[in-house]
Amino acid sequence: MDSLSALADGFAVALSTRNLLWGFAGVTLGTFVGVLPGIGPALTIALLLPATYTLDPIAAFIMFAGIYYGAMYGGSTTAILLNTPGESGSIMSAIEGHLMARAGRGGAALATAAIGSFVAGTLATAALTVCAPALVTAALRFGPPEYFALAVLAFLAVSSTVGGSAIRGFASLFFGLLLGLVGIDRLSGEARLTFGIPALLDGIDPVVFVVGLFAVGEVLHVATTRSSGEGHIVPVVGSLWMTREEWRRSWKPWLRGTLIGFPLGALPAGGAEIPTLISYSVEQRLTNRREEFGQGAIEGVAGPEAANNASAAGTLVPLLTLGLPTSATGAVLLAAFQQYGLQPGPLLFQHEPRLVWGLIASLYVGNAMLLLLNLPLVGLWVRLLSIPRRLLYAGILTLASLGAYSVNRSPFHVALTYAIGAAGFAMRRFSMPLAPAVIGLILGPLAEQQLRRSLAIGGSPMILFTRPISAVLLLFALGLIVATVFWPRFKTDSRS
Amino acid sequence: MVDRTVVRRALIGLTLLSTLASAQRQEAIDRLTIVAPAAPGGGWDQTARAMQRALEDEGLVRTVDVENVPGAAGTVGLAQFINAAPSDQAALLVTGLVMVGAVVFNDSPVSLSQTTPIARLTGEYEVIAVPTASPIRDMRDLIARFRGGPAAVSWGGGSAGGTDHILAGLIATAAGVDPRLVNYIAFSGGGEAATAALGGQVTVAISGYAEFAPHIQSAQLRALAISAPTPQTGVEAPPLSHAGIDVTLANWRGLVARPHISDDMRRRLTETIARMSQSVSWQRTLEQRGWSDQFLAGADFQRFLDDERLRVTRISRALKPSGPLGAAPARVFPAVVFGGSFVVAVALLLDGLRSARRNPIGRQTIPIHRGSLLLIVIGLGLYASLLTIGGFVIASTALFWMVAVAFDRTRWLRDVAVAVVFSTLLYVLFTQGLGLSLPAGRFAAWIH
Repeated sequence: MDSLSALADGFAVALSTRNLLWGFAGVTLGTFVGVLPGIGPALTIALLLPATYTLDPIAAFIMFAGIYYGAMYGGSTTAILLNTPGESGSIMSAIEGHLMARAGRGGAALATAAIGSFVAGTLATAALTVCAPALVTAALRFGPPEYFALAVLAFLAVSSTVGGSAIRGFASLFFGLLLGLVGIDRLSGEARLTFGIPALLDGIDPVVFVVGLFAVGEVLHVATTRSSGEGHIVPVVGSLWMTREEWRRSWKPWLRGTLIGFPLGALPAGGAEIPTLISYSVEQRLTNRREEFGQGAIEGVAGPEAANNASAAGTLVPLLTLGLPTSATGAVLLAAFQQYGLQPGPLLFQHEPRLVWGLIASLYVGNAMLLLLNLPLVGLWVRLLSIPRRLLYAGILTLASLGAYSVNRSPFHVALTYAIGAAGFAMRRFSMPLAPAVIGLILGPLAEQQLRRSLAIGGSPMILFTRPISAVLLLFALGLIVATVFWPRFKTDSRS
Repeated sequence: MVDRTVVRRALIGLTLLSTLASAQRQEAIDRLTIVAPAAPGGGWDQTARAMQRALEDEGLVRTVDVENVPGAAGTVGLAQFINAAPSDQAALLVTGLVMVGAVVFNDSPVSLSQTTPIARLTGEYEVIAVPTASPIRDMRDLIARFRGGPAAVSWGGGSAGGTDHILAGLIATAAGVDPRLVNYIAFSGGGEAATAALGGQVTVAISGYAEFAPHIQSAQLRALAISAPTPQTGVEAPPLSHAGIDVTLANWRGLVARPHISDDMRRRLTETIARMSQSVSWQRTLEQRGWSDQFLAGADFQRFLDDERLRVTRISRALKPSGPLGAAPARVFPAVVFGGSFVVAVALLLDGLRSARRNPIGRQTIPIHRGSLLLIVIGLGLYASLLTIGGFVIASTALFWMVAVAFDRTRWLRDVAVAVVFSTLLYVLFTQGLGLSLPAGRFAAWIH
């Protein structure tokens, strides 16, 4: 096979001592920034971009890929241990992961996340090697009506899957949708709900929203309820590592997560929100221990974490083959390509085989490095929990504020993050799930734009039902409504 | 892409000589701020950072600071640049065609006419393309179909009001079709527009040439026309004028200075940028990035900018959806969200009442520790207000300390020390390690 020999050449490039060192620097830095709330791979790569100008492009991309993958690994750490996910991709794993950590199984949760990420990352990279061109052809069939249908399905899935009450789920979703309306409407140029504040013209940044809702909200919650033992985390119960039972329960979710994450990540709409959410809700429905969901079920960490990493590899498909960035990090990587005078697209594989295959090979290498780096770190991260709580949470809030500031370098965004944190605190008090709000904020604008594009292309709403893929997706959504309304038991009654 | 650079360079040389002669030895600019009205990584940011490198490498300016003020296609940065306290410090704003359109499209309260034009640096022509399998043969064919039924032709391109949208509007006007009838479908950028065309979602796609080049070279997209005045080497498509459409449009990037600067400052800035544009380091950057040199300064640039503003403003006004019918699509989704929120709020209220009736004592909730809440809120307030005045370290120390004390009031003295060490460490780590610029405040000035 052509691509296999090309990949072998790629490994020769990636395994040179110099590139290995750049890769290692990348994964280490990536893990570090991934752990910090609000400081993600996109910002890090953007900041490093000018500094790498003099570097050989291959070395630079190997480092960037390391940062990207490393941040995926690191992002789950604080999400699981402290319930403070820094980006939308690790929100779903935070739900069960944090409950596991509270029960003293934080080490196992981190381990299943790391190994699941490795399995998913490696399999997805293999899929990227073999079937990128075929995937592109399939992905092109996804037009605006299909994306709209997918978003609708995600809205219904998240509101009925997460948390105990569908009403609270929908309330959280609509909170996100409302805030998602803020800013200039991309299709008409009209400013909506900006109240004359220029800083709101570009809408509410998802990073600001996630950091506020989770990190700030969590610190407020723990600090004000600490005397009742809230937020008290048992460091380790039993073995630090995964037990045989936990292995047995993890491997299937890893594979399912990969299967869900890679194709959804490869779609030109991208993002880790839909794949992680679908993986969570699939695991919840397939498990025979439904009662454990909401108490800390390892399937709920293994699946979404695998889906998160697989979708990260998936987003490289449209980026490399179509020149289409589908995530914030993808957009910065595109800028990096352009810095070197390269325009990703169908010809990149032919014109720059050394670069592309070196990059793909470095993804395999980076994944292996990350596993080696992260498994020993599990013990160290868990020890984070033995830091006195007053210093730990003070540190989190300080870092979260820094992250919020760095998004736009404006004090206004810091204040906005705090206001959202207050909302997150209130939502915790009224036991409203947080994940639907994030899905609403991120997918709301996407759903609106795709709906309006569909109408402009098709002329009438019928286009949503006449195209087979979107019709099937909408049918699923309808089924979900019917099931939730008529058989309330269908939904897991987790937290009451 | 070729430009009449030789002629232009000679002209620049002449202007330079004359300015040099008139001002004798100009003192060099010591410190220059370049404002990129976009997030790191975007086109304007890349221009600013490439300039920073060229100016510093060539020794034209000792220190160049790049400041990112992203938002609303550059209009947030423009407003901040114009409204900054008047001073004669050297500061430049990266601007371009997109900003000219956005000022109109986003109803921006400020305008580029308030700034002091300095120079145009680069430009890129747009290309109009269809999928290879499309029945549309050439530009004439497209125009004929478009005239026959404007609604049947959908144009995919970048954000509404951006370069691609402006070009679609200009083409419609030149073809004698009301620009309001253009069925323009805005995507997030050229990549997405190309994908939509390849997938058969839109009839034609418009974008900068570089973004479509890989698809055109691999024969997936077919270029119908380019928005340049003359045929371009390496581009097979003819100019729009060959199809009887008298339109040219370049997505240019340029520089403006603050309002009401002194003539001396204006001259020094213009001269510095003119020198930079000829420098080896800048020319190498242009080549590497595939940017074409369209340097234009002085009165010529002023005239160009005025003309461009006039024509872009006119077409943007026509393209902006207005009236109850035009703006209707933008209202539907918000209405659904507002309606849904109301229904959910009522349901939530009823649910709350019902459970309160069932359990009159109320749901068992954990009581809030009010003192802790107050301390943290004070900490957050201090952080947000101290950040720019006092600097990062002081603000961070205050926040850290307040939170630590909120958890445990007995160790407040020791925690001050921890807070100072932690904040200083963060400051050094992020400013030195990642190059993130954090507000230094008095604290840093005191150290130096």
